[in-house]
Amino acid sequence: MTSGFTLPSRFGRQGLGGCYAPETLLQPLLDLEAAFVAAASDPAFQAELKAELRQFVGRPTPLTPAPRLAAVLGLRSLYLKREDLTHTGAHKINNALAQALLARRMGKTEIIAETGAGQHGVATAAACARLGLSCTVYMGVTDMARQAPNVARMRLFGAKVEPVEAGQGTLKEAVNEALRAWAGNCNKAHYILGSALGPHPFPTLVRTFQTVIGEEARAQALEQCGTLPEVVLACAGGGSNGLGLLVPFLQDPLRRIAVEAGGHGAGLGEHAARLDGGRMGVLHGCRTLLLQDDHGHTAETASISAGLDYPALGPELAALILDGHVEVRRASDEEALEGARLLCEAEGILPALESSHALAVLPALAREGVSSVLLGLSGRGDKDLSTYQARAGVSA
Amino acid sequence: MTTPRTLMNPLLPFIMAGDPSLEALPGILSAARALGLEAMELGLPHSDPIADGPVLQAAAHRAIQRGATPRRVLESLAGLTDSPDLILFTYVNPLLQLGTEALLRLLAPTPVKALLVVDLPFGEEPAFEADLRAAGYPMVPLLTPTTTLDRARGILSDRPDPGPEAPFAQRFAYVVARLGVTGTGQGTDLSPVASRVADLQSLGDRPLAVGFGLSDAASLAAIRALGATPIVGSALVQELASGLDLRTALLPRWTPAT
Repeated sequence: MTSGFTLPSRFGRQGLGGCYAPETLLQPLLDLEAAFVAAASDPAFQAELKAELRQFVGRPTPLTPAPRLAAVLGLRSLYLKREDLTHTGAHKINNALAQALLARRMGKTEIIAETGAGQHGVATAAACARLGLSCTVYMGVTDMARQAPNVARMRLFGAKVEPVEAGQGTLKEAVNEALRAWAGNCNKAHYILGSALGPHPFPTLVRTFQTVIGEEARAQALEQCGTLPEVVLACAGGGSNGLGLLVPFLQDPLRRIAVEAGGHGAGLGEHAARLDGGRMGVLHGCRTLLLQDDHGHTAETASISAGLDYPALGPELAALILDGHVEVRRASDEEALEGARLLCEAEGILPALESSHALAVLPALAREGVSSVLLGLSGRGDKDLSTYQARAGVSA
Repeated sequence: MTTPRTLMNPLLPFIMAGDPSLEALPGILSAARALGLEAMELGLPHSDPIADGPVLQAAAHRAIQRGATPRRVLESLAGLTDSPDLILFTYVNPLLQLGTEALLRLLAPTPVKALLVVDLPFGEEPAFEADLRAAGYPMVPLLTPTTTLDRARGILSDRPDPGPEAPFAQRFAYVVARLGVTGTGQGTDLSPVASRVADLQSLGDRPLAVGFGLSDAASLAAIRALGATPIVGSALVQELASGLDLRTALLPRWTPAT
């Protein structure tokens, strides 16, 4: 028997991705792929999505020059792709809204989502309120504590937030619980996975709905500067923001860099740097680079950023990295806080802790002789105020 | 469809390796054998059991805390002859990390006869699955409420019945009785299961075992009456964890074949 999928489910030379899902979810995943393929070639769906992205999300987001920060760092030019200016404050809404439209088209009435930093949860809750779908968001208890404003926002939008106590109480456990909930209710519910991970077709779905970031940024760079930068730079947790920005630049002669969370140390459990620390494995339905112990048990991770502490890299981004199309850097908690401080003081923009990891590698790039950078500012930092206030990096 | 079937095996219990302890495992298996059980599912604990409910999650967590790594579990089974046939019930990543060669070496001296890998659809790891099958460790096919009959036909032929000469552990298909994850607490309405089992029985004479949400003696008897083997997992794991011995836990649920 063939798998029944029509789109490629594997990425890169090592065949990352795949569909390692329990049998209960196979038919729902087949149905999802079929609906996605049909919607992709349906002008009515595309028009609806485009209108919502313009009128509800606030796209296109600006490409903002950051000349004062560039001068501080010794860069000739620095441009910020402002996903922080989308409705709900991060790139997550691009995918959440598109999947919610797809779910409605499939006749689903209930939405399940997981969230780490809470940005995907807020975006999904908002999209569900807008489309009249009921919404349950699974969130680890550790993340609920450190991203409390987002929990409040989800609840204001009418979503039910289900605390997940297991393990470290972060994104990995939230995904576990969301997958379980979906298996129990897959006839009525659609699971809006928030990052480019999970079983096929999720990585492809999420990447497709996020590449609007890079498509806009590329056109804006050409229009505003007349040329493309030397480096395009994004932070990477699961990889939806990284892929969304970097994929549209894959054919261009420039460097593409993804930044992982270096946490507070180099040992297993002290960071979320999957390229150096990870080995090939299967988690949450896909084969990819995974932080794990010798027994194949998923390792704990650490990052000041709730959106970057996922133990696996999304399979497509991992494949692009392993095949040499994307470089990887890591930024520590301290470096991220310093990156945030620089942007606040030089440009009057408060970045999310996730985006701060991308900012954190700018000084090193400048020292290495890079002169022009386009950076994906994936989200705004309001949700992180209490962390910024508690740490010396940004005082308030 | 209406032909009464001979029930190949009246009960398929599930226990989690390393819970309550790895040291207790040989004793539990020999007690199972003494009861007359032909086959048993043995959970190999995983850190992220996405198809398991709270009881088996907690059991896996306890087992891992106590050091029940895949290697140690399999080593603790080496040389056991006083055991039912075992079906190793687990997730794919711990097996991939061991690697085919080491896994086969570890399996060889154990009573394991088949594997049930919850998150491994046929075709995702073709070489791995083919090597295991060739070495005598077939994958148990899983059929769930979302599996259409067409799909079920495909799955049963991808992971075929080795035939009446083979032990139950290598022949049966696992029928998941309801949507969701493992665990007790299902309502007592077994009528959807009955029609589902009848539909699947119409596809051939593959022995079927039915699990997810079964625990009390009446539900187990109802499954047997359908000509299928009931699986009891979470309820048993909970009882063993609370100190009950296997014999006491299983006796009320056990009707030896006549």
